[in-house]
Formats: sequence, structure tokens, C-alpha cells
Amino acid sequence: MQADQGVIASTIAQEQRSTRDARHDRLFGWLLKGCALLVLACLLGAAGSTLWGGREAFGTFGWGFLTSAEWNPTDDVYGALVPVAGTISTSLIALLIAVPVSFGIALYLSEVAPPWLRTPVSSAIELLAGIPSIIYGMWGLFIFVPFFSDHIKPWLISALGRESCDVHEAGNVSWVAQHVPFMGKMFCNENSFGGSVLTAGIVLAIMIIPFISSVMREVFQTVPTRLKESAYALGSSTWEVSWDIVLPYTRSAVIGGIFLGLGRALGETMAVTFIIGNKMKLSPSLLDPGASIASTIANQFGEAAGLQKSALMALAFLLFVVTFIVLLIARLMLRRLAHKEGR
Amino acid sequence: MIEPAAGIHPQSTATAAMAPTKLQVRDLQFYYGGFQALKGISMDIPEKKVTAIIGPSGCGKSTLLRIFNRIYAIYPKLEARGEIVLDGENILDPGYSMNRLRSKVGMVFQKPVPFPMTIFENVAYGIRHHEKLSRADMEIRVEQALRSAALWDEVKDKLKQNALGLSGGQQQRLCIARAIALRPEVLLLDEPTSALDPIATGRIEQLVEELKNEYTIVIVTHNMQQAARCSDLTAFMYLGELIEFDQTEKIFTKPSKKQTEDYITGRFG
Amino acid sequence: MSNTLYLRRRVANVAALGMSMFATLIGLAFLAWILWETLRQGISAINWNLFTKISVYREEGGLANAMVGSLIINFIGIAIATPIGVLAGAWLAEYANRTKLGESIRFLNDILLSAPSIVLGLFVYTIVVLPTTVLSDHTTSFTGLAGGIALALIALPVIVRTTDEMLRLVPSTLREAALSLGVPQWKLTTQILMRAARSGIVTGVLLALARISGETAPLLFTAFGNNFMTLNPLEKMPSLPQAIYEYTKDPDPAINAIAWAGAFVITMFVLILSLLSRLILSRNKVSHD
Repeated sequence: MQADQGVIASTIAQEQRSTRDARHDRLFGWLLKGCALLVLACLLGAAGSTLWGGREAFGTFGWGFLTSAEWNPTDDVYGALVPVAGTISTSLIALLIAVPVSFGIALYLSEVAPPWLRTPVSSAIELLAGIPSIIYGMWGLFIFVPFFSDHIKPWLISALGRESCDVHEAGNVSWVAQHVPFMGKMFCNENSFGGSVLTAGIVLAIMIIPFISSVMREVFQTVPTRLKESAYALGSSTWEVSWDIVLPYTRSAVIGGIFLGLGRALGETMAVTFIIGNKMKLSPSLLDPGASIASTIANQFGEAAGLQKSALMALAFLLFVVTFIVLLIARLMLRRLAHKEGR
Repeated sequence: MIEPAAGIHPQSTATAAMAPTKLQVRDLQFYYGGFQALKGISMDIPEKKVTAIIGPSGCGKSTLLRIFNRIYAIYPKLEARGEIVLDGENILDPGYSMNRLRSKVGMVFQKPVPFPMTIFENVAYGIRHHEKLSRADMEIRVEQALRSAALWDEVKDKLKQNALGLSGGQQQRLCIARAIALRPEVLLLDEPTSALDPIATGRIEQLVEELKNEYTIVIVTHNMQQAARCSDLTAFMYLGELIEFDQTEKIFTKPSKKQTEDYITGRFG
Repeated sequence: MSNTLYLRRRVANVAALGMSMFATLIGLAFLAWILWETLRQGISAINWNLFTKISVYREEGGLANAMVGSLIINFIGIAIATPIGVLAGAWLAEYANRTKLGESIRFLNDILLSAPSIVLGLFVYTIVVLPTTVLSDHTTSFTGLAGGIALALIALPVIVRTTDEMLRLVPSTLREAALSLGVPQWKLTTQILMRAARSGIVTGVLLALARISGETAPLLFTAFGNNFMTLNPLEKMPSLPQAIYEYTKDPDPAINAIAWAGAFVITMFVLILSLLSRLILSRNKVSHD
């Protein structure tokens, strides 16, 4: 009887503990879920707050906001075309340079380099990703832009472009510019000093190379060895295996990596702000200064008020939506290979 | 206490005569999503005996063991139907408290899994969740558990050291100590020696022999010699069904089913 | 006939592999160039004033207030992001693994990881700076706290992701062992799993710190910066990246030199942090197998 009561008492205690544990578990679960939902809140909040802040500009200019190249704080008239074009052209230049270089690096590190060299070299390349963007900006402004103006720009003009941007003015016109349309306009000399759309694109390229190349290298390593070995067994060379087997097998993830780099390039602020020249004027020449969305916000938001502030918020909204879509595509593409791997 | 229905379950008559039943399994079905992993298992596991479950991999022996303390319930889409009666109550009843079940049924896993804390804390951690003990009482309790697991002499001078520093065999005995520190009634061992060397395996088997005086032990093993050496009863499972369940001696000398004989003699598995 | 084909294939192979080596050299060359310039210009500009003087003295000035401000703002950012990020990561790994909502949040977290930081800065401007401005009689209230919150939003996805990944690396047997003792889920998560994944989680926090300590854009409209030693996080607060930004734009080379010194300090800090986190990770791997 005594023993029975003891058993019953301990059973009751256990039941109480179970209920308490269940309650604590539930509370803990809610706490964790709440924290996780904050991630969602950040994304929605960033989109929502910039849309709200930009409502005045969207309302005032409508669709014209996207198509107008006029950005004039004196008359309080704002159009997004110049920064949008600057963002797109710098990012495209960055991709044009970064994609082949990254592919080369990934190929070298996964197929060519001797094994002992792979880890140190890949860590060094990844180090590039860790350098803060403001350092890229300083280096670009003080070191790279002067170097570019002295050594690369004159060569580009004489090889591809035209000495003067004005068609009616005298000056040397390169063979390429005479025969290929738009080349002369893209590489002509406006006699401007300092940064330009092209230099900003080049520095962006250096910044996104580590991202693209590390994704590429990682996915190249997921290609099953038997697949590569069967191609080698047929007598394929390293290059043929890489181009015909590895690249098609990893295509979706490689595109994902490229989009990831694009997403970074679109939103990069400080480096571009230093070297793009910040001129709100549309120009076909890549050697001219321009502006990107992020650089425009960084430069003007501090002193802006009223409609100008709203226009900058509207720009931020555009930037956020576009990068979101680009990054969404990137992650979906990357996930496709992960699914194929059964991960 | 429910009387075993001897007529319906002929394979359990031998056990019923020998010792009181501790765990009574009745028509147990188990599903992984759409796949049925266990098909109508019924068996009576006797008190304070060692019951071994053998069979080829994928036969459901580990699955069965993992239902005895409902550890399977932490994964989604798994479902058990039927009854498992422990001391007159069905542990599969959703109302049966997890705390109670897990203080009554302890488990030791394939690979030793010490918690990332000191040796002392590893043993004390589980106790602390079920009982409030004074520092002195806790020390006594931990020492008892480590002694029962035949580990005390090796670790008594380094109780404050990280448990990850122990050898594999010591870690596994620590896990046994951790399980018996809660003073369970049933001890489940899921291939406890599969990750250990022969010497460490010998010590664990010896320990099982000693522990059966106090605990009802169910051991899953892929090693037939081990089942023959240290169990009183053996259950043979194949493709999710219980083929034969009897005295170990009988299973290994004159099994009544052809499939059991084929497996014992190494014709498949 | 087939000889020329072989020759062509071999030439193509050698050319392609040569190009790949050249691409790698380009990458390494730029890394070396950037680090070399930062080192050269930075070290030559480093002096005592940097750590003792504040920015009002201009040419004779230093970055003392900016460094202190950076420490405070980074601390606020990490202090906010760490608990939230670790708990959110634990939810992804332990509670919502393989559920629809969990997968979506893991996916969106990866997007937040590379979202433009300047937009996150504007978000914090809208939800922190603007409301406090209204509350404080319309004097624009940029604060160090707002800067810290903006950095927290950037650190958050880094911490969420590492915590999630590190917890998922913990073998499920550890979970089963604890649950078989009757330990409830919340204790299992906080006392056993997080302890087992501790060094990985610490690495995540260090990586997040490395990431935010160079961030400039989100601070422009939140902490705003000033020229004084500021310890109160409810006032405008200077920071190292922002001081570098201001000093770089200055036409005076003497002031540019101070910016280089600041750039050197930040780069060293970030490199040491990433080295440290690598070290912790590699040591961790050794002890676990």
C-alpha cells in the first residue's frame, strides 16, 4: 500500500513535469519561430519601407520616372534612367570580365593545379571577397583610376574608339570604330578625368570574381568522378572534359553563381560611389562618368528633402526589387543542382 | 496485468512459463510514410532477462527497438499501431507521458554519443531532469551508475574532464551509465558494440550479463555469436515479421522455422 | 589527317589550360595589388595621433573617435544579431527542417545574405530614425543605435546560416540519446546541441563581425557620423568606415593619408577575424572525427 502510494505520487509528479515540459517546449518553439520570421520581416520591411518612402515620386512622375533621364534638384524633376542605366552597364561590364576569369580560376583550381597548390590559392581568392568594399573604393580612386587613365584609356581610344566624342570634330578614328557601329561612341574621349562607368565595372568585376569562382569550383567538384573518368577513357583532354562534360552537368548552378555575382554587383555601393564619377548625365561613352542607383543614394540622400528624398527611396525600391529577383533566380538555379545531387 | 493469450501466440508460451512478462507487444504495425516496416508483431518480453533480436539488415529489428521508448516519434511521418503494454499500460497511448516512459525505458545507441560536457555531467544531466538531488546525493548516484557500468575505477580521478576524451569502449560504458542512472526498468541496447573493438565488446557483454539481475534488457545485434553468448531469449525477424521467438538455446540448436535455420547457418543475411 | 586533328585538340587543350592559369594569376595579382597598396600607404600613415586624436583636428587629427564609435556600433549590431540569429538558425535546423515554411525562410535568408546593404540602411532609417525624429521634436535623430540596428540586419543572415548549417552537422544520434533520457526539446537544443556546435556558431559570429566591420553604406543615414568622441549610442556616432569615406573625398593628401591608415586598420582587423574563424573551424573538425 505504502509502495503503491509512492508509485502514484511519482507518477503524478512525472505527469506534471511532462505538462510543464510540453508548455516550455511550445513557448521555446514560438520564440524560435518568431526569430526566424524576423528574416522574412527584414525583406518585406526593406521592400515596404522604400516603396512607402518613394510613393510621392512614383505618384508625381508615374511611369515617366523610369524613362526620364532628367535628374534636376533645382527644378525638382527626377527621372531614374541615368542611375538605372549606370547600374545595368557597370554590372554587365563586371559580368563580361568576371565570368570568363572566374571560369578560368575554377577550372584551374579543380582540374589543373597540383593538389598542394589548390587550398592556398583558393583561400587567397576567397580573401578578395572578405576585403571591405570601401577598401576597393579607395584603391580604385587613388590607384586604379589614375593607372587606367594613364595606361589603358589612351590605348583603348586608339585601338577601339575615337579621339573626340563629337563626330564633326577632327581627330583620329580607329579602324574598329570605322567598321563596327557604336564602338566609336562607346570608347571616345570626353576629356574627362577620374572615374568612369568602365572603371567602376572593372573594379566590380574584381569584387565579384571570388563569389562566382567559388560557386563554380564547388559545383565542379560535385561532378561524379565516374562521369569524368569515362570521358577520359575515351581519350578526351582535360579541356574537353571540362567543356563537354563538367560545364553541361553543372550548367544550372554555374548560371546561379553568375546571377549571385550579378546580384552583388547591382547593389554594391561604396566602391562604385568612389569611382563612377557621379555625373547625372546619360552618355553612350563608357569612358564617361556616370552614376548608379546605389551611388546616387549614397551621394544625395544625406542632403535630400521632400520630393528628392522620395525619388531616392523610389530608386532604392527599384534596386531592391531587381536584386531580389536576380538573387531569387540565382538561388533557384543553385538549388537545382543540389536536388540533382540528392542533398 | 493482462494475461498473455497463449493459444493465439504459440511462440510466447515458453517465455510465459519462465518469468513474468515485462513488455507485451500486441499486433504491432509500423509505417514509414506509405511503407509498412513492421507487420503484426506480437511477443512477450520477460522481466530481468536478456532478449536478443536478430535478423538481416533492414528486417526491422532496430525499428522495433526504437518503438519501445517511442524515440521514433521525433521524426515526422512515422506511425506505430497496435499495443505495447508495460506494467499494465499501453505506452503507445498518446496520453502516456514521455517523461514517464523514458524514465522507465533507457536506451543505448550503436555509436557511443557522449554529450559535450564533463564525465560527471554526462551522467548527472539526465538525473537532474527527473529528480532534484542535493550535491552529495548526486555524487553518490553518479558513482553508483558508473560502478554499475564498470567504469568507475577508470574515470574516478577525471570526472571533471570532457567525456569526448574517453576511448570508444569507455564512452559506450558511459552511455550505459547515463541510461541506468535514471534507474529504468527496461534497458534497450541498439547494436551497442558495433563500433567497438573486440576487447571493449567483451567488457560490454560481461556488463550485460551483470545488469540483467536488475534490468529487463532488450538487445538488437547483427552479430549472432553475441546473441548466442549473452541472451536468454532470441527473436528472429525477417522482412518486418517476427519469424520465431524462443529460448536462445533452442533457436540456435533446433529452430522450428526453415528461415531461422537458414539465417543461423549463414545461408542468407 | 588524324594527326592534324590530334594536334589541334592538343593545342586547344594547352591553350585553354594556359588561359585558366592566366585567369588565376589575374585574380591573385589584383589581390596582391590591393593588399600591397593598403599596406604601403597605410603603414606609412600610421602614427600615434591616429589612436589618440579625434577627427576635428583634421591634418593633425586621428581616428580615435571613429574607432571607438565603430566598436560601439559593431557591438550593438552583434549583440542584437547573435541571439536572434542563433535562435532563428536553431529553428531552421531543429524545428522546421524539411517543412515548407522552414525551407522558404532558409531560402529567403540566403537572399537577405546578399541583399544590397544600402537598402537595408534606408529600411532602418525609415523604421528607427524617422519615428524617433518625430518623437524628439523634429530634430533629425540619427543615432549610433540606429547604425547598430542596421548592421544587425546585415549580420543576421550570416549568423542564421552558420548556426543552421552547424546544427545540422550535429549527428542525430546525439538528439536521440538526449531525448531517450526524457530531456525536453528546448533543453536539448540549448544545452546539448548548441554546445556541440558551439565553435561553429562562434565562427559564424566572427564572420558576421568581419562582414559588418567594413560596412559603410548602411551607416550613412543611420549613425550619420560626427567629429567628436561619442559614447552615447543615442547620439550621432562616427565610425571608422565612414571616417575613411569622408577623408577619402577630401582634396588634401594629408587627410587622404589618414584614410589610408584607417583602411589599413580595418583590413587587418577583417583579415585577422577571417583567419581566426578558419582556425577555429579546422581545429573543430579535427576534434570531432
